[in-house]
Amino acid sequence: MKVMLVDDEQKFAQMLAKRLALRGIQADVYFSGEKALESVQQGNRFDVAVLDVKMPGIGGIELKRSLQALDEQMKFAFLTGHGSKMDYEAGSHEAENYLPKPLQIDVLIETLNRLVGGPPGASDIDG
Amino acid sequence: MMKSLNSLTGAIWPRFHRKAEEHLNPYYTFQDYKQTWGMTIFILMMTALLPLIVMTLIYYQLIETSINTESLLRTERTASNARRAVTFFLEERLAALTFTVNEMNYDQLTNPGHLSEVLRNLKLGFGGLTDLSVIADTGTQVTYAGPFNLEGKDYSNQPWFMECQQHNACVSEIFSGYRDVPHIVVAVKSIRQDGRFFVLRATLETERLIQALSSYKTGEHADIFLVNRNGLIQTPSQFYEGESHHMNIPLPDYSDRTRAVMSTDRNGQPILIGYAFIDTKIAPTSFILMVVKQKAGMMKVWLDLRSQINWFFGISALIIAVVITLTSTVMVNKIFQADRQKAQTMVAAEQNCQLASIGQLAAGVAHEINNPLALINETAGYVKDLFTIKQQYKEDPDLVEHIDAIIDAVARCGTITRQLLGFSRRFDVQTQPIDLQDMVSDVINFHKKEAEYRNIAIHVDIPESIPLIETDRGKLQQIILNLVNNAFQAIDNGCFLDVRAQMDGPEQVRLSIQDNGCGISEDHLNKIFEPFFTTKKEGQGTGLGLSITYGLVQKLHGNITVQSKTGQGTTFVVTLPVKIEKETQS
Repeated sequence: MKVMLVDDEQKFAQMLAKRLALRGIQADVYFSGEKALESVQQGNRFDVAVLDVKMPGIGGIELKRSLQALDEQMKFAFLTGHGSKMDYEAGSHEAENYLPKPLQIDVLIETLNRLVGGPPGASDIDG
Repeated sequence: MMKSLNSLTGAIWPRFHRKAEEHLNPYYTFQDYKQTWGMTIFILMMTALLPLIVMTLIYYQLIETSINTESLLRTERTASNARRAVTFFLEERLAALTFTVNEMNYDQLTNPGHLSEVLRNLKLGFGGLTDLSVIADTGTQVTYAGPFNLEGKDYSNQPWFMECQQHNACVSEIFSGYRDVPHIVVAVKSIRQDGRFFVLRATLETERLIQALSSYKTGEHADIFLVNRNGLIQTPSQFYEGESHHMNIPLPDYSDRTRAVMSTDRNGQPILIGYAFIDTKIAPTSFILMVVKQKAGMMKVWLDLRSQINWFFGISALIIAVVITLTSTVMVNKIFQADRQKAQTMVAAEQNCQLASIGQLAAGVAHEINNPLALINETAGYVKDLFTIKQQYKEDPDLVEHIDAIIDAVARCGTITRQLLGFSRRFDVQTQPIDLQDMVSDVINFHKKEAEYRNIAIHVDIPESIPLIETDRGKLQQIILNLVNNAFQAIDNGCFLDVRAQMDGPEQVRLSIQDNGCGISEDHLNKIFEPFFTTKKEGQGTGLGLSITYGLVQKLHGNITVQSKTGQGTTFVVTLPVKIEKETQS
């Protein structure tokens, strides 16, 4: 499974990628919507995109629409700071893929596995 | 029962007479309700009663003038008629005597039998004659016809005889004479064949004259009588006979025609005097005809009418006064109560909004804190992962770096918490020196993230020269926050927001918050500070934000104005005193 992780909070994104890597999931980190879009336009392919809703420039919701246009197969999950109106709207659209910050890593893994339809990867590693 | 009693008490001693609540004052329509009440009553009373008073006075004046004129005219008419009667009475008899002396010579008249017959004929023709006599030029009575035996009497010293010598005829005053009965002497002079003169004299009863005069007497307050030119009463007067038979009112000035004048009697009561100096065509007389009427008697009809008008006026004025007082009291009280209710709602709404904005703030803060918390969470989780998943990282120096990241994140939380604490405030006005620049940047910080996302440019221009302002921190912060919030709601992505400050004289600071958003239409512009006015959809705005801002500015003794053009943007200008006066602190 190949995951795209987009969040303007750089350290948070890097840390999350490291933790996913420890669990055998490869995650490419992008710090803005523009960079992420550029990467897909250049031909990079991802199974799942995990997007922060609020970002300067292109936000998570808008980015999802653009990415979907490029790759219909791609699945999406959203991260949110929980509390702004826009976040709740995001939640109502795709409630099952809405992950509040701070998040629990197990919930994220479970969501990713559900989206790609594969076996729970984390349980393999944790044994 | 109790309710009607309360409403009666409310009308007589309304609420606004009691002390109004100080903290509601900024929301009241009038500053002093008692004064407003007094002024309302005064103005309404003046408007209603002044024309009534003026009209009544003019009416009084008109009526009185016309009644005076009419009374004088009537008195003069009475006097004129009576004068004609008296003149006619005397002239008739003088003419009869003149006819007699011209018809008969001295010898015929001195024949007693003949004179008696003449007297009898005159009595038959005119009446009112008592006796008749012929007096020689020596003043000695030569022949006498009548009831008394006065033959040989000497009249040479009598005033009427002397007057008769000068004129051809005479009329005496009324006197008692030798016979002690009031009478008038009329006499005519004639010349004998030998050139000497003689006088034919007749005595007239006064009874007939008095009767003739009485017939002109109208009303119980009128008096009609004759006086001589010295004021001596000639015929009986009902009211005006004073000491030694003299008239006790002043003698009128001479006039050759009938006149009427106003005067006063000895008691100071107003009277009307109609008078005429009586002269016959044949002989002058010393009579003055007096018609005296008491004005009070003549004015009685008018006085009765005036008393009715006074009653009518008094009762009307009383009703007007009561109605005006009650109406004004009830109306002012209604305004006061409506104001009071509005003010209480405003105070409550202000508190609600303060609580609401605290809630909003807390939500915003929570959102901001969540990002660093997420990082702490992941970093700590990673450290745990390292220990649990990869045993070989047990003593990796890289760990220190990650722990630093945790410390950094905690520090960020601390900053946000401090900003949150900066917003905690009290509700009363508590002055303290405030740096406007710091405060504006504090407020802007809360919107920084949103401005970044929405690509809104915020310019803050607060010069160093602005002094510290002595005011209430919480309220000023709320004012700025509300205005910035308002601007953020009004502008689209990509617009700008300008916050500027400058001195407005040495005592005031002017803070302007300008945006280039959608603007406010002219219709709405004068309503935006009204409570519950909103242009947002139902459920999206309470319509209290700007009205509370307005109330807060007032509490800080400042002033807020707005300028706006649809499509071009809006500028709010808040003017605040550099220092709030001490006594206004609550």
